[in-house]
Amino acid sequence: MTPRARGPQAVLAVALAIVIVAAGSAAAAPPAPTVRVALLQGEQLVYAERPGTSLTSAIKALLAGPTKTEAADEITTQIPAGTALRGVSVKNGVATIDLGDTIAVGTRAESLSARITQIVLTATRFPKVRYVRILVKGGTPLGLFPGFVTRYPLTAKDVTAPDIPPPKPPAPEQQGKPSAGTRALQQALADRGFMTAADVDGRPGPRTTSAVVAFQKWTGLGRDGVAGPATRAALLASSRPTPIGAGSGHRVEVLLDRQLALVEDGSQVTRVLDVATGKPGFETPTGSFRVFRKEQRSWSVPYKVWLPWASYFVGGVAFHEYPDVPPNPASHGCVRVPRWDAQWLYQQTPIGTLVTVLGRSR
Amino acid sequence: MKPLLAALAAAATLSTTAGAAEPPPTKTPGVLTVGLAMPAAGFQVGAVRGRKVVLAKGLEIDLARILARRLGVPQVRFVNERLFSTLLNPGPKDWDLALAEISVTAPRAKRVDFSAPYLSADQGVLVRRSLATTPRSIAALRGLQLCAERATTGAQVLVKTIKPRRKPLLLSDPSSLSYALFTKRCDAIVADAPTLAVLRRQAPDRYGPLVGRIVTREKYAIALEKGSALRPLVDSALRGVIKDGTLETLRRRWLGVDTAKLRALR
Repeated sequence: MTPRARGPQAVLAVALAIVIVAAGSAAAAPPAPTVRVALLQGEQLVYAERPGTSLTSAIKALLAGPTKTEAADEITTQIPAGTALRGVSVKNGVATIDLGDTIAVGTRAESLSARITQIVLTATRFPKVRYVRILVKGGTPLGLFPGFVTRYPLTAKDVTAPDIPPPKPPAPEQQGKPSAGTRALQQALADRGFMTAADVDGRPGPRTTSAVVAFQKWTGLGRDGVAGPATRAALLASSRPTPIGAGSGHRVEVLLDRQLALVEDGSQVTRVLDVATGKPGFETPTGSFRVFRKEQRSWSVPYKVWLPWASYFVGGVAFHEYPDVPPNPASHGCVRVPRWDAQWLYQQTPIGTLVTVLGRSR
Repeated sequence: MKPLLAALAAAATLSTTAGAAEPPPTKTPGVLTVGLAMPAAGFQVGAVRGRKVVLAKGLEIDLARILARRLGVPQVRFVNERLFSTLLNPGPKDWDLALAEISVTAPRAKRVDFSAPYLSADQGVLVRRSLATTPRSIAALRGLQLCAERATTGAQVLVKTIKPRRKPLLLSDPSSLSYALFTKRCDAIVADAPTLAVLRRQAPDRYGPLVGRIVTREKYAIALEKGSALRPLVDSALRGVIKDGTLETLRRRWLGVDTAKLRALR
C-alpha cells in the first residue's frame, strides 16, 4: 500500500474517532464549531451549517454549493460550479473576497445579483465583517453585476433591503362582452371547482382562460386555454375532482405533473387553481409541509422581486401572486398563483395549514 | 527543371512569409494595446486594477480580439480609463487603439484619428421609476432633472438639443450615471441608446422605460493616435469584419435590441 493510498483512510479513522469521542461525552463536549452559508430555496435564502470557524472556510463552503442531501430538498445556489477562491482578507470591518472569473459567467441579471447577495450575506454573518468588497481576478468589477454598484464595499442592508417600491394592486383585467355561451362555460367550470361562483359573469377574460387551462391540465388536454369542442365536451362529461391522497380536514395538494393546486376540505375539493411551480433545476420540493410564515407583501432577497400574498411552507418556497402564470413550470421553486386567486388562497392557508406537494398525481 | 521549380517555390514561400511576418506597427511588438472606458452594458464590462484590465467582455472586447487576429498580432492587452474623456485627450497614447462607443465628431477628429465606423446609433432617453408622466417629446423633457456623463455626446445633446430649464447634472462615469437614475437623483438620463437598452433589459425593475431616442446618427469608430500608421490596416480588417457578417453576429449576441425602432423624440 502506498502512502498516498493510505492518506484518506487515516483521515477517515481520525474522523470516526472524533465522532465516537463526541458521542461518548455528548453532555460535556461543546457543539462542533460551524459556520453558516447562504444558499437558495424557492424565492429566499436558506442558511446551511458547515464545519469550520473562519470566514475563509465559510466562503469555501459557499462556493462548493449545496450537499447532495440539500440538493434533493431542492436547495440550490446561483454561484457557478468551479468558481475559484483567490483570497479572503478582513481589515477594519471590510472583508475583501477575491474570486475567479467564473463568478461573472453569464448575462442574466437575476442570477448575477443573487451571487453577490449570497456572498455578502455569508460574510456579514461574522461580527467582524460589516462591509464586503468583491473582487474578480483581483480587480474591481465594473458593470459585471447589473443589480449592484460593486465599486464600493456592500453591507448586508445593501443586498437585503427592497430597492424597488412594492407593486400597486393590479388594475382589473380586460374583459370581453358578456354572452350566454361564456356564462354556460363559466357555470360548468364553477360547478366543478375551476373558478368561483362569484366570477360567473358571462364575460370572457383571463380568469375564464385560466380556469379553462386548469381544467385542461386536470384532464390532460392541450393547455391552450381555448374552450374548443373537445374541451367543452370533456368538461360537460367530467365531475368535480376529488383529493389525490388520503387525508382529512382543511389542506392543499400541489400536483407538479399537472401544475395545479387543489384546496380541500375532508373528501371535497373546494377549488382547483391554475398554478406554475419550479422550473428544471429549481423544482418545487415534494413532501408534506405546514405553512409557517405569511406575508401580504414579501420581498425576494436574492432575486429582488415583490411577491404579494406569500404563504411560505418550506424554506423559501411559498404560494404567491405573480403576474405571469404560464402553463408550464416557470418559477425558482415557488408556487405562482394568478392575481385574482392569490388573496383568496392566502386567506385559505393560515399558519399550520397542511401542504402536500406530489410529483405524480395519476 | 525540378530543382529549379523547387527553388522558385521556396523563394516564393520565403517572400510571403517575410511579408506576413512584418509585424504591424504596434506600441509593443506582438501586442495590441486597446484603450477602454468601462462599463458600458453590452459593449464592455469587466474588472480592473487601476488601469489594468483583468477581465473584460462585450461586443467591443470581442471586436478588438478579432481585429488583432486579422492584423496578425498574437496578443491583446486592455487598459481602462476611469474617465471617458481621458481617451480623447490630445497627445501621445500608450494604447494602439481605443474602443468605447466613441462617436466621430469634428472636434474629436482634431485630437485623434478615426477608423471607418463600425456601428451607427442615436442617443437614448431612459427615465427613472414611477415618473408621473412619460415624456413623449423633447419639450416634455425640458422640465425634468436630466443627467448625462461628462464629455460624452449625451452631455452635448442634453445641453444643445434638449436645452433643459433645470440645471443638468453631469456625472463623471457611467456607473454613477445609472446609479443616480436608480436613486432618483435624476428623472432621466441621456446616453448611447444601445447601451441603455441593454442596461434596461438586464435590470428592468431598477429603471423606468426607455422612452425614446434623440436622432443623432452617430457613427462609432475606433480611435487611434494622430498619424498612427496602424490606421489603414485597422480599416481594412474592420471592413472585412463588416463584410463577412462577423460584426452583425456580435451585435446580435451582445446588444440584441434594435434601437432604431424606438420612438424618435422631437
